[in-house]
Amino acid sequence: MSFIEVSNLKKVYTSRIGTKGTEALQQVDFSVEKGEFISIMGESGSGKTTLLNLLSTLDTPTEGAIYLEGKSLSDIKDKHVSKFRREQLGFVFQDFNLLDNFNLKDNILLPLVLAKTPVKEMEASVLPLAKSLGIDALLDKYPYEVSGGQKQRVAVARALITKPKLILADEPTGALDSRSSQNLLEIFKDINRLGQTIIMVTHSARASSYSNRVLFIRDGKVYHELYRGEQTEEAFMEKITQSILVSSGRGE
Amino acid sequence: MGKLFSTKLAWRNIQSNKQVYLPYTLAATITVSMFQMMISLILNDFVQDRSSTLVQLFSMGAIVVGLFSLIFIFYTNSFLMKRRKKELGLYNILGLEKKHIRKVLLLENLMIGAISIALGIFLGNILGQLSFLFLNYLLQLPVVMTYSVSWLGAGVTAAVFMGIFLLTLIYNTAQVTFSNPITLLKGGKEGEKEPKSSPILFILGLISLISGYTISMTIDNPVQAILQFFLAVLLVIIGTYLIFTAGSIIVLKLLKKNKAFYYQPGPFISVSGMLYRMKQHAVGLANITILAVMVIIAISTTVTLFVGTEETLENRFPAENTNSLMTNYGLSGSEVEASIQEITEHIDELTVDFGLEVESMDSFRFVNLIGKFENDAFNTVSPEEREFIPDMVLLVPLDDYNRMERTSINLEDNEVLVYEAGIEVNSDRLGLGDNLFLVNELEDRPSVVGAEADLSDTLVVITPSAEAIDEITAAYNTEEDPYVMYWQGGMYWETTATEGDVMSYGKMMQAAIGDHGEEVGVFYESRSGNREEWYSLNGGFLFLGLFLGGLFTVGAALITYFKQVSEGFDDRERIQIMQKVGLDKETTKRATRSQIVWMFTLPIVTAALHTAFAYSILQKMLVLFSINNPQLLITVTIAVVASFAFIYWIIYRITSKVYLKIVE
Repeated sequence: MSFIEVSNLKKVYTSRIGTKGTEALQQVDFSVEKGEFISIMGESGSGKTTLLNLLSTLDTPTEGAIYLEGKSLSDIKDKHVSKFRREQLGFVFQDFNLLDNFNLKDNILLPLVLAKTPVKEMEASVLPLAKSLGIDALLDKYPYEVSGGQKQRVAVARALITKPKLILADEPTGALDSRSSQNLLEIFKDINRLGQTIIMVTHSARASSYSNRVLFIRDGKVYHELYRGEQTEEAFMEKITQSILVSSGRGE
Repeated sequence: MGKLFSTKLAWRNIQSNKQVYLPYTLAATITVSMFQMMISLILNDFVQDRSSTLVQLFSMGAIVVGLFSLIFIFYTNSFLMKRRKKELGLYNILGLEKKHIRKVLLLENLMIGAISIALGIFLGNILGQLSFLFLNYLLQLPVVMTYSVSWLGAGVTAAVFMGIFLLTLIYNTAQVTFSNPITLLKGGKEGEKEPKSSPILFILGLISLISGYTISMTIDNPVQAILQFFLAVLLVIIGTYLIFTAGSIIVLKLLKKNKAFYYQPGPFISVSGMLYRMKQHAVGLANITILAVMVIIAISTTVTLFVGTEETLENRFPAENTNSLMTNYGLSGSEVEASIQEITEHIDELTVDFGLEVESMDSFRFVNLIGKFENDAFNTVSPEEREFIPDMVLLVPLDDYNRMERTSINLEDNEVLVYEAGIEVNSDRLGLGDNLFLVNELEDRPSVVGAEADLSDTLVVITPSAEAIDEITAAYNTEEDPYVMYWQGGMYWETTATEGDVMSYGKMMQAAIGDHGEEVGVFYESRSGNREEWYSLNGGFLFLGLFLGGLFTVGAALITYFKQVSEGFDDRERIQIMQKVGLDKETTKRATRSQIVWMFTLPIVTAALHTAFAYSILQKMLVLFSINNPQLLITVTIAVVASFAFIYWIIYRITSKVYLKIVE
């Protein structure tokens, strides 16, 4: 049994009764092993954000199911969805989604506070994590006082602090410059090496080259899959770029 | 860009921004109509005819309502602008110059302003008439109150609000002029800094509040010291605003420092949220507090006044029948006493003829001196040279005092009894006329003067004999600039009249008693005859109190609603982010509820505190209406505070549902 099993997933958005809905996801099947770092690539409108929303329980599928450690996500009762999200998942968003009214430390602690963790425990866990992400000197600052790269590292810290089973990242480098992007991806690689499962949605070949496996999605279907194996990042990126070119019909 | 195009664009903007413009226009309209009603009250016949003090009091109320309107319209306007910045930024980027945007803004403001002012005045007059009709029906007063509609009132309202709208226009234009399109595009999202705590403002607020309280506690006569009273009100208002804005931040920061408290889901969300936008928050809360105080004071005093009407009558008219006597100058005390005997006999005859009997008869004589105390000696002052509040001496012969008080005190020829009501005699000697008297102080207020004497600067002096008074007045009257002192008197009697014939007895006496010689003027009043008049007067006050109370409650409801809506929009994004990282709906509700408890209790408790400190002034104002019944005032005030808290709670429940709906 895989860590995550996505089977026959379908999502239809209906705007009004009687009108034919938009199929955001037609049929998606894939599985994720524990400790994998997977990228999902696709153009705008390919359905990758829908897929991520379904994975993160922010939305429910029209058909099919997602299993996390053999348990269907749709079986989680409404009451427990927030708790599940808080304890099992960590999120990193494109626009960081940090709260301006909290300083960075409180932003990181947010999920722990919501989980009613004792203060001592929280205080103890935040510093080592911040240190490993290189933001320990910034903890008392507010989001509007730091750079985008630093904000995203704070968001990563917030995602990691609950020691989640799965990290979901939605275009995490989308709003970052190349240096900050690289820095963030190195961090992802490092935490993945420590055993953290990561699913990242992106349309940057550079970003996905850091993962172990890339899923290509188009028109609501997974149409291609690449494993990195033992390749270097550069070689893997080359392959990814080629795949994209081939798929768009402009290959050599 | 043509004028027509700008006009069209402005009008289309208003239409397409209905969601924010409609509530804004509505709020502005209601504010205008509230102010219009307030102005109409000043011009109301009842207020105008009663006294200039009442006009002053209501003008003060109108100024407060005007200030409140300014703050409120600014508050809602800034909320509106925040949500519109993005659109304006887009125009700018798409090629409209700032000058064009300013033009569009001007036209928009002009339209909204014109609509709200016209509608508000119209609505104010309609609502005013309707609520007068309703209150007339509800109270069933002997005299029907009429709502006054006038061009003057409408003009004042229009002028005030044109000024207010002009200020908002200046603010909006400045916002557009001094920001670049990108920051406009980002609109309300720009990172607001956490407010700094400013102990200096807090201390200033405390000082302002405490001095306001002190003045209100120490004012002797609120009507004569109306300027001082106004100052106290102003200081308390300033204090409230400063303490709310500065104090709340200090308190919230302290709460934040307490880690065990702060790092819990509820407080974590609410404390940080409140701290983040405390500036606007605090202003809203202070507004509500001030309105709450006005509601409480307006209603509790007028209710007390109305309920206490019977007591007023008892105090003004110690007996069912009263004669006030005025005599010509030159009459001596003993001659006045003789006249009183004659009148008493006359009354006896008239009463027997009417088929009734006189049960008890009290009378006393007095002379009232007006002037100034200097070195424990009293000098009269001619009317032209009198100060605004002169000193007064009330001279009463010992015999009359003993008769009224049922006592049998003896005095030596050079001794007097003195009751100090506002004037203190520091030495044990008192100079009156050419005489020097030894002072014996009276602890209790003699029944010959009412409680209102305590509010004026009066010295009650009981002299050994009527002749002594004749001597004193003679001494004053021989001075070069003579100010005529004359004897006055009061007669109080009860008869065997039943409720059925007490009115006709009064009418008979009124007609018969008037003609009593040339030297003594007799002015008859019956308590029953005055009852209706007093009830209609106090009923009029009750009417105004309820009207104002209703008006201010509507104001408080309006602010509460806008506060919740604007906060809802502010909080929506934050709450949604938090829900993404695992905030559940239960906790959201709980956190908002704790916020609500705060926001509910703070204004009510502060309002109650303000009322408690205003108590002394209120009590004294009521004494002017011959109501000296602290028990009644306290009971009524507590009841009014409780009912207002209840109404406010309902308002809060409804509006917080609106908030939760927006947030989710």
